[in-house]
Amino acid sequence: MSQDSFSRCHPAVNFLYFVTVIGFGVVIQHPAYAIAGFLGASLYYLLLKGRQGLSFIGSMAGMLVLITLLNPLINTSGEHILFRLFGRPYTLEAMAYGAALGVIFALTMIWFGCYSEVLTSDKFTALFGNLIPALSLLLVMVLRLIPSFTRKTKQIIVARSAIGKGADATESRKDQIKSGISIVSALTDWALEGSIVTADSMRARGYGCAKRTNFHIYCFRKSDAFLVGLIALLAALVLALGGTEAGFTPYFYCDYVTLGFPAYCALLLVPSIMYLREAIVWNNLKFET
Amino acid sequence: MEQLEIRNLSFSYPDAVRETIVDVSFSISKGEYVLLCGNSGCGKTTLLRHLKSVLTPTGSCRGEILYNGVPLEQVDGAKQASAIGYVMQNPDDQIVTDKVWHELAFGLENLGVSRETIGLRVAEMASFFGIQSWYHRDISQLSGGQKQLLNLASIMAMQPEILILDEPTAQLDPIAASDFLNTLKKINQELGITVLITEHRAEDIFPVADRVLVMEKGHLAANAGPREIGHSLFDARSPLFPMLPAPMRSFYQCGGTGTAPLTVREGRNWLTDVFGEKKPAVRTLPPLPELPKTEPALHIENVWLRYEKQSPDVLKGLTMTVPSGCLYTIVGGNGVGKSTTLRTICGASKPYRGKIQVFGKETKKYPRGELFRNCLSMLPQDPTNLFVKQNVREELEEMNPDKQAQIHAAELCEITHLLDAHPYDLSGGEQQRVALAKVLLTNPRLLLLDEPTKGLDCGFKARFARTLKRLTGEGMTIVMVSHDIEFCAEHADIAAMFFDGQIIASGRPREFFGSNSFYTTSSNRMSRCIFENAVTAEDVTALYKENLGDGQ
Amino acid sequence: MKKSTLFSILTIFLLIPATLYFGSHIKGRWYYLTSTLVIIEIMLPFFASFESRKPQSRELVTLAVMAALATASRVAFAFIPYFKAITAVIMITGIAFGPQAGFLTGAISAFASNFFFSQGPWTPWQMFAYGFAGFWAGLVFYGRQKWCRPWLLGVFGFLSILLIVGPLLDCCTVFTVLSKLTWANALVIFGRGVPVNLIHGLGCGVTLMVLTKPLLYKLNRIQKKYGMMQKEEGNL
Repeated sequence: MSQDSFSRCHPAVNFLYFVTVIGFGVVIQHPAYAIAGFLGASLYYLLLKGRQGLSFIGSMAGMLVLITLLNPLINTSGEHILFRLFGRPYTLEAMAYGAALGVIFALTMIWFGCYSEVLTSDKFTALFGNLIPALSLLLVMVLRLIPSFTRKTKQIIVARSAIGKGADATESRKDQIKSGISIVSALTDWALEGSIVTADSMRARGYGCAKRTNFHIYCFRKSDAFLVGLIALLAALVLALGGTEAGFTPYFYCDYVTLGFPAYCALLLVPSIMYLREAIVWNNLKFET
Repeated sequence: MEQLEIRNLSFSYPDAVRETIVDVSFSISKGEYVLLCGNSGCGKTTLLRHLKSVLTPTGSCRGEILYNGVPLEQVDGAKQASAIGYVMQNPDDQIVTDKVWHELAFGLENLGVSRETIGLRVAEMASFFGIQSWYHRDISQLSGGQKQLLNLASIMAMQPEILILDEPTAQLDPIAASDFLNTLKKINQELGITVLITEHRAEDIFPVADRVLVMEKGHLAANAGPREIGHSLFDARSPLFPMLPAPMRSFYQCGGTGTAPLTVREGRNWLTDVFGEKKPAVRTLPPLPELPKTEPALHIENVWLRYEKQSPDVLKGLTMTVPSGCLYTIVGGNGVGKSTTLRTICGASKPYRGKIQVFGKETKKYPRGELFRNCLSMLPQDPTNLFVKQNVREELEEMNPDKQAQIHAAELCEITHLLDAHPYDLSGGEQQRVALAKVLLTNPRLLLLDEPTKGLDCGFKARFARTLKRLTGEGMTIVMVSHDIEFCAEHADIAAMFFDGQIIASGRPREFFGSNSFYTTSSNRMSRCIFENAVTAEDVTALYKENLGDGQ
Repeated sequence: MKKSTLFSILTIFLLIPATLYFGSHIKGRWYYLTSTLVIIEIMLPFFASFESRKPQSRELVTLAVMAALATASRVAFAFIPYFKAITAVIMITGIAFGPQAGFLTGAISAFASNFFFSQGPWTPWQMFAYGFAGFWAGLVFYGRQKWCRPWLLGVFGFLSILLIVGPLLDCCTVFTVLSKLTWANALVIFGRGVPVNLIHGLGCGVTLMVLTKPLLYKLNRIQKKYGMMQKEEGNL
């Protein structure tokens, strides 16, 4: 669980932020915006994950190149024909479009990577628990059961292989599938038996007695309100000032960059700036003492 | 006024031949700590479930249950939910949510308590139980003991007036179990909350309980203080007698009269009082006969293992030799690598150094699948890991199509009468025996057992020991990992102590446990000032009688 | 129940067309955002009806167990590459408890399992695809004991994955990486997905064929043994 300054904000701030940047990210195909988005997302991702994050960003860059090269194969329109492949034109415009798509794809994935780090399941349920109480309880229950079932499955696999019934004892695919099905079947019996106890435990603790409260451990502070305002303001500026349009095929064109662009960049940098500001504060504190 | 009063309660399940609860009456007053005991299947759980309306099983029921003088069915749901706390046996399945803090709040959320109040109550409970340090964790990161404490805490957050606990420590290791019971004692003594508990681990509860109820076949057989209850069980030659704390058992077996000792300390005082300052003439039992020299069934040499490259070593140069035809038990604390050792022998964990030989041949050199055919087999800690079919008969058929072998295994494990039952309809002890029968059908010459006595009551343990004796008698080698020192002391051929990734000592149980001062049986701890190597209640009795003759 | 029906009608006849209309007028790349919104909106009525039903503990537990089972079944087949039983377990839930329960199990198991891997642009699509699998199987087989023949289930599972569920999962790719949304281009992407969907479909078919009967038996047994886990009625 990451504990940077932005992650500690109220989940509503986190959610609003990611909806905004991912929404802009997938829609705007203006190259300046796309590249800024990519850099902004990567910066925050690296701050969150440290050096481990590099490999993911690297693989996204690989995807970017791949999409750049593949797009002209599917999309053949464009004025500057570089060469012909199997009789089909391979154009510069389509390649540029591919690059833009690749960047958009990469930035979406990286933003989602940050989202997964920041907006953990308990934040999700804190946020939507009032709106969808039953579903968020269901989600919480599933999240609780998955690791337990996974562990049990592994135990069953070990137990069965220690009596010579493991999938590793055979090389035939058919027997392996059979063994897998036996395992699922064993798991089901165990899980259903346990589910009775869980249902009892829920009722024993008064589930269904009254209208449920949605308890969570986050509170909405003044700073959260400020951030919500800031994000909304910057987003509104981007929308209002425009200058985000661009087209690639059959010919390339794009809007002139307006003041919306610095607003967009500022929006992208919100979590990273919060992170760095905190880092500087800590650094100063260390020197003072 | 009595907090809880049960009047002439009888109950039978639909289609059942006989009643599960037969005319039971008792009452519990506020702040009492009451232990309910009885062997598996005596109706304890069914009785407890009647004390909370939503858990009451369907069936025909007569009699009355009064809560604070009001018939229980008239106490409304929300009041029952908060006032009557119910903790069940399985620590895992009771947990509903995925986070510790959320689980603590779950009950209060259900009652519609305001967020601020929940926050406060949860904070209180987390502090009382010392949960702060794992307050933010996922449930999946907790140990069994922590889970059960969490279950208790999340019920306590609802501010109950009475706690009902159904074998809450059966699935825990001894340290976690005594932790749990200590917390429970604190709740009873510091907060004055009434406790009604069923438990096999009577040694830990007898000293704190105010009263003990004994159930036999649905009847309430006894209802008395903990000191008086032993006497009546002994006089009645009750099958529940072995359940009593060891000092108490020794006391009655030696013919003691008067106030029976409940704890090791009291037992020791009793013995010193009897023998006075002078040491008795005979202080040692003769050493157990030497084991016949046999070929080793299992030989492990300098095995090192870790789970991941960066993680610490779990096995650190483990070396051990198990002669064939004996019951070799490994005792030791939690997480020292006992279970890992068994997994490693089976090849489920791979050591990075060292070798493991089974019957003189390295396990790696056995061809694929060959090791587990007529050679090596393991009974997992949780018998349900082996259940894949709809009834016991099919479970056995899965292992070995030979009818004769199935019948033999079923007889050996005493499950012949259970063949048509679904494995999950059996009690814990029966499941254990079915799993053992499955394992035995692979015809192992070396059998590994992982904590086989966990959660078994004394009757099941005695049966299990009998089966093991027969198997070793037929020449099988058994390696057993256990927390159950008393069981190992009584039945092992060789006992070994595991610590810090290796075996640090081993020997015949009488010498082995006789020379330990802390990690040993309670009989030994009680008698070590008088006798030198008495490790079981029977040993103490034998030496006592040898010195003083039968009776007084 | 009334309220949730009204909500469903509003969603289907107002919200979705409106999203499509305004979505297609966004300047820029509108189709991923719009299609995802529509997918989420299609799921809303299912969720709303579940909420308005105020589910009892047994229903919640049943759905949670089935969803977690579907996810955990992955581990049981870990040694066979690309073999997935998750859809089969979801479909069996639909067969046992009806289309509504099937849908919820599928959607929630996709959503929950992504918390353990990573949420991504695919999340709503997976939720919908798996939810649909459960819904569809429930629609065809729920309450029709006679139809539950192994071979029929096998063929059903295989074709459903190959023709519906697999392509639904691939839709996400179509909307994220295609520069020009034409049928020909989309077919290229769908075509690339066929081999994976084939194995997925085979896995699902085989598992349905073998596992449906024993799993239904197990559910039935628990229901009898504890007199609970009543069948859930879909009341959309």
